[in-house]
Parts: sequence; structure tokens; C-alpha cells
Amino acid sequence: MLIVEFVLLMFFVSIFAGIFGSIVGLGGGIVVIPVLTILLGVDIHFAIGASIVAIIGTSSGAASTYVKDKVTNLRVGMFLELASASGAIIGAALAAYTNSAALEIIFGCILLISLGPMLMKLGEDIPKSPELKGLSKRLGLKGSYTETDGRIINYNSTRPMEGLAGTVVAGVLSGLLGIGGGAFKVLSMDLAMKLPMKVSTTTSNFMIGVTAAASAGIYLARGDVDPLIVAPVALGILVGAALGARILLRSRNTSIRKAFAVVLAIAAVEMILSALGVLP
Amino acid sequence: MNLKDPESMNLVIGKVLRYGVILSGLIIIFGTAGLIASKGISETAGFLNYNPTAVPHDGIDVSPSGLLQGLAAFSAFSWIELGVVLLIATPVARVLISVFLFAAEKDRLYVLITAVVLALLLFSILVTPSIPGFHA
Repeated sequence: MLIVEFVLLMFFVSIFAGIFGSIVGLGGGIVVIPVLTILLGVDIHFAIGASIVAIIGTSSGAASTYVKDKVTNLRVGMFLELASASGAIIGAALAAYTNSAALEIIFGCILLISLGPMLMKLGEDIPKSPELKGLSKRLGLKGSYTETDGRIINYNSTRPMEGLAGTVVAGVLSGLLGIGGGAFKVLSMDLAMKLPMKVSTTTSNFMIGVTAAASAGIYLARGDVDPLIVAPVALGILVGAALGARILLRSRNTSIRKAFAVVLAIAAVEMILSALGVLP
Repeated sequence: MNLKDPESMNLVIGKVLRYGVILSGLIIIFGTAGLIASKGISETAGFLNYNPTAVPHDGIDVSPSGLLQGLAAFSAFSWIELGVVLLIATPVARVLISVFLFAAEKDRLYVLITAVVLALLLFSILVTPSIPGFHA
């Protein structure tokens, strides 16, 4: 394959990854990594380096739109970033001492199990808003946004400590493996904190850039962020994220939840297969 | 723009992210155009293999001084690397500016939360790569 062909192929693949990633609150790594490793035979180190950049691009590219349109909950995002940034450092510290395959199987299984409660509320449009009390009230973890049909949705959140704990797991995964943080962030906000689906995925999207940036120094210093591989990925992702953000703002919560459930299942299976050595 | 107005926080953060993305995107396009012009019809085969002694490609120097030299020499890879570094810096800039935006809102609790996030982030990016045993 010629370099120009590689650049064009990865550009278009990454547009697709950016659209999906920005809608479901993940980084697009679950598309970019298998295409690079399985289809093109690129080494997993380079693929993860590209995924880190893809995550940051998806995050910043879509968040500029989500934040302006006030779907993202900035306070929830900033509060949970305490957990994801700490988790990323813990993950980096653990990397030398843990068996990442075993962890991937455990985390993959947790993702598969969390599909259950996710499927139970597949038809949920707006969750029944909990009473704002305790730490959530102190932290102001509430908000409002305008739905596609013009309704103004006021919502509160609950169980901030459970959200924080789930987000630490997300950070550890990112620091350890460079991937997989977004799914745990969305699950924490959706299942524990009871935020509307759009708020969960866009706030996750807002946060994943910071979590990935926390790990980026290590990958850059090691030379895993390769300019040739990363350039078309970054450009495609930025185009895709801009498109995805426009699609999300016109989509219903129920459609976003269905898309997330599908991606969650794929991410879980990918993680388990890679731990078992079936995938690179 | 009145920074005391909570609405302005969304606008400022949205702008920081947008300008960061546009600037890094343009620089990456510039580098990629140069890359295709110079090496576009070379085979990728030799490029996609991971050789730990020669990564990243062309063994370019990822240290700040090496990057500056590459930029001055108009190395396509170095320009792409600069765009990627700016892309990585965008979320960091967003957290930094949020500290001041919460200060303008006189929200002390969130000034503290955001400042701690910024400290963790800078520690993770700048310090952890040089700690032996981290991410071996």
C-alpha cells in the first residue's frame, strides 16, 4: 500500500469513528484500533498511540458544539475529572505490576454485565429526576437542556460517590491500556447518577479528552504517537466529531441509548478477545 | 462578554476547544500535504512496522528541541507532531481556563476542584513519563 492510499483510507475510516465516538461518548478507538491492527497489520503500540489522539480529537471536536449548546453538564464533568485523572495516574503506576490480560477480561465482563441494566431501560427517554440532596446539592450537580422537540428538560443527579468510583475505574483503564474509559464514564452517569442519556454521553465525551491527555505524555515520550499513522486519524476524527455532534443534537435519547448498547457490546467483546489473544 | 454570567462559561470553553481544534487541524493538514508531496507514492510497508529503536518514523526526535529543529527544517513529520501536540494541549488549556472562569463566577468549590484536576493532569503528562516503573 502507498502512503497516499494509507492516508486516504485512514482518513475515511476515522470520519466514521469520529461520528460514532462523539454520539455515544467514546473515543472511536474501538473502530480505529481493529482497522489498524487487523486490517493493516500495524503494531498495537502505534494503534494505541493513534487511539489516544483519536480520543482527544473526538472529545475536543464534538465538545465545542455540545458545550455551546449546553447539553454537556460542565460541573458534573469537572467533578468526575477528579476521579478520571487520578485513575489515569493509578493505571500508569500499576502497569508494570499487573497482568493487563486478566484486567481486560475482568473489565470486559463488567461491561457485558452492565449491558443488562442498560437493556432494561432501553426505551427510557428522560429518567425520573431524583431529589437533589446531600453532596449532589452541595456540588450543584443539576442542569437543564433543550430537547429536539423544544421541551426544556430540568434534571438532577444522585449518588455522586458511586459516579466517582465508576469514573476512577474508567481512568485506571485509560492509564493502563490507553482505551476503554468512555464506556465506564457513560455507565457511571447513566446507571448511578441518573442523568439523561444525552447528558451522559456528551459529558463523557467532554471528559475523555482530559483523561486521554493525562496518558498522552507517556505515549509521546515513547514514540508510540507516530506522525504518519496519527495524521489521517486526527483529521478524519475531527471531521467525524463535528458531524456526529450535529447528529446527536437532532437525535432522541432512546436512539442514542440503543447505539450506545450496541457499541458497549462490541467494546466488551473486543476487550475480552484481545485479552485471550484472538485479536491483536 | 460578562464573565460573571454563568452562560458565558459555555461560550468561552466552546471557543477554546474550537480554536484549539482548528489550529491543530490546519497544522496537521499542512504537514500531511508535505508528507504526501514528498513520500506519497512510497510503500508503507517499511513505515508501519514497529521498530522500538527507530520510532517514531524517520527516528524523529520528539523532545522539544528536536521538534523545533524538525520544524525549522520543514520536516513533514515534525509539523504533524506539532499539530498533534497542540491537539493534546487543547483539553489542558480548557481545564486551565475553567479555573479562571469558576473564579470569575466566585465559585470557590469548583475553583478548587478544577485546580486539583489541572495539577493531576500536569503531573501525569509531565512527571509520570520520567518516573521509573511507571507504565513500563
